[in-house]
Amino acid sequence: MNNIETSGSTALSLRNVTKTYVMGADTVHALRGVSIDIDRNEYVAVMGPSGSGKSTLMHLIGCLDVPTSGTYSLEGRMVAEMSESQLAEIRNRQIGFVFQTFNLIPRSNIFHNVELPLVYGGVGKAERRERTELAIKRVGLTDRMKHKPNELSGGQRQRVAIARALVFDPSIILADEPTGNLDSKTGDEIMTVLDGLHDAGQTIILVTHEDYIARHALRTVRLLDGSIESDVKNGLGAGGNH
Amino acid sequence: MKLAIDIGESFQIAISAIRANKARGVLTTLGIIIGIIAVVLTMTAANGLHNQFRQSFAAVGADVIYVSRMPWVVMGDFFTYRNRPAIELREARELEGRLRGRGIVNPSMSTQRDVKYRAETIDAMRIVGTTEKQMLVSSGRPQSGRFIMGSDVTYKKNVCVIGTNVRDGLFGSANPLNKKIKIGRAVFRVIGVMEEQGGSFLGGPNFDRQIFVPITSYVKAFGGQRGRQSVNISVKAPSKEAMEDFEFVVIGEMRKIRKLRPAEPDNFSINKLDTLVGAFNNVMGVVLLVGLLVTSISLFVGGVGVMNIMFVSVTERTREIGIRKAIGAKRRSILLQFLFESAIICLLGGVIGIVLASLLTAVINTVLMPASVSVSIVIVAVTVAVAVGVVAGFVPAWRGSKLDPVEALRYE
Repeated sequence: MNNIETSGSTALSLRNVTKTYVMGADTVHALRGVSIDIDRNEYVAVMGPSGSGKSTLMHLIGCLDVPTSGTYSLEGRMVAEMSESQLAEIRNRQIGFVFQTFNLIPRSNIFHNVELPLVYGGVGKAERRERTELAIKRVGLTDRMKHKPNELSGGQRQRVAIARALVFDPSIILADEPTGNLDSKTGDEIMTVLDGLHDAGQTIILVTHEDYIARHALRTVRLLDGSIESDVKNGLGAGGNH
Repeated sequence: MKLAIDIGESFQIAISAIRANKARGVLTTLGIIIGIIAVVLTMTAANGLHNQFRQSFAAVGADVIYVSRMPWVVMGDFFTYRNRPAIELREARELEGRLRGRGIVNPSMSTQRDVKYRAETIDAMRIVGTTEKQMLVSSGRPQSGRFIMGSDVTYKKNVCVIGTNVRDGLFGSANPLNKKIKIGRAVFRVIGVMEEQGGSFLGGPNFDRQIFVPITSYVKAFGGQRGRQSVNISVKAPSKEAMEDFEFVVIGEMRKIRKLRPAEPDNFSINKLDTLVGAFNNVMGVVLLVGLLVTSISLFVGGVGVMNIMFVSVTERTREIGIRKAIGAKRRSILLQFLFESAIICLLGGVIGIVLASLLTAVINTVLMPASVSVSIVIVAVTVAVAVGVVAGFVPAWRGSKLDPVEALRYE
């Protein structure tokens, strides 16, 4: 078996990860041997044109999918060998998703949307209430708890999504184009929230194709045609407001 | 604990999903509603028939053998029975003598006559000539006054004991005791009123519409003397267990009385409650079969409707399934969510069906026969409805639970 060295501070580690899809007669190589290590409390932006494989990489890191070959360890646990139900547990406790289209449950109110990961994690009612209220407070929406998602603005919805992502204290927050559906001012607000989470110790991986968004991160990984084109640390004061 | 939380969540999701599509939910349940009405009505009808049967034939003792010219349930050629010699009163006495106290023997005869009291007339009442032993072979008891006594029979007294319908028809709320009524052309004095026994069953005798008179007065007044009218002989066995052996004893003695040679068939019939129960079970079987057929067809159609709508529901919420899976829902949670939705839709249909069936039952109760929806019927109906929901919802729920999260999240 592949033995992956994981230092105490490594959050996740990918080694020679490939992903191929068979679509009819064609085989699509979405990832062609990607290796990457991300430490705890890193703030990484993943960039690349569409078709470069960044969505696939996000899905693999988020345990929504498993690699065709190569290894992936998250907090020292090998993901490729896990069952569907174990993957669901990882997504539940270790990963917090923030999507471009918010992806809230429309019929449920804000409180219930944020509470949902705790429900699926089998947390008792009193603890759920406490943790949910805390998460909603962190994104500043305590006065909106009983509202439905369609009663909130786009920025507020994305903040609800962030609260849902962090309610279970995940190892990583995976934000996929979190500002893609927002105007630039609201987008900045969302980035400020994410920056704040990073400052508080949270590991964040951010997928974006906007340079000014990527500049919030401290490290930028660029993908092209399923391979890593560049992987650089953003210098402090390199134009970002971080 | 985890499962309980899962179930609670699934229940909430199901309720809110159904609330969001109220009209669709109700339309979907139409088939289930009809199916559950069929379930309830079939069971109510079966219960009603059963109760009415028991009520109607409560007077027919389970340990009594009835010797008559005709069988109660005629099978085969009617005329072979019709041509049999009538059973005579003399033969009843002879049978009593031969049994020597091994069974209680009561002869009876019956006919129909119009009955009059002052201006009131009731047509075609059943007039039964019997003896004081009627009380020993039948469960009916007088509610007021007294029954016929031995001396009434011996001295051919013109006294009568009437059923509740006769009393109501002739006397209304007045006291009938010691009033003189005209039965056919003879005058009889009312000495008692029988307890109410319930209505007739499938064309059987209505025991509340009959009048008992001493058999001797009956012969005198209604002319059943020589072979014209046949006597029915009731013989009470020493015990229910001894019925079978006792039946052969009675048959043997009757054959001796009638001097039948061994090769000759019986020219009389042995009737008992079992004969009626057999006939009743045939009727019941048909009712249940038809009910079962209607029930299963409508539940099947209803179930297919629910399955269809659940497929729609799963497809509509593909993206929601993707979101739930992304934040940690396992296949079990998704499966439960849709199974609950399906089961609750069907439960809703079941409840509506039970309410409608109860209304129908109330109508049946007033116009057709005594019927009521019992707790056990409701429990069965609810169980059936939920079971249909679970079965019909399973395949759509299974399909939803198997969705790939990445593809489900991309679904527009």
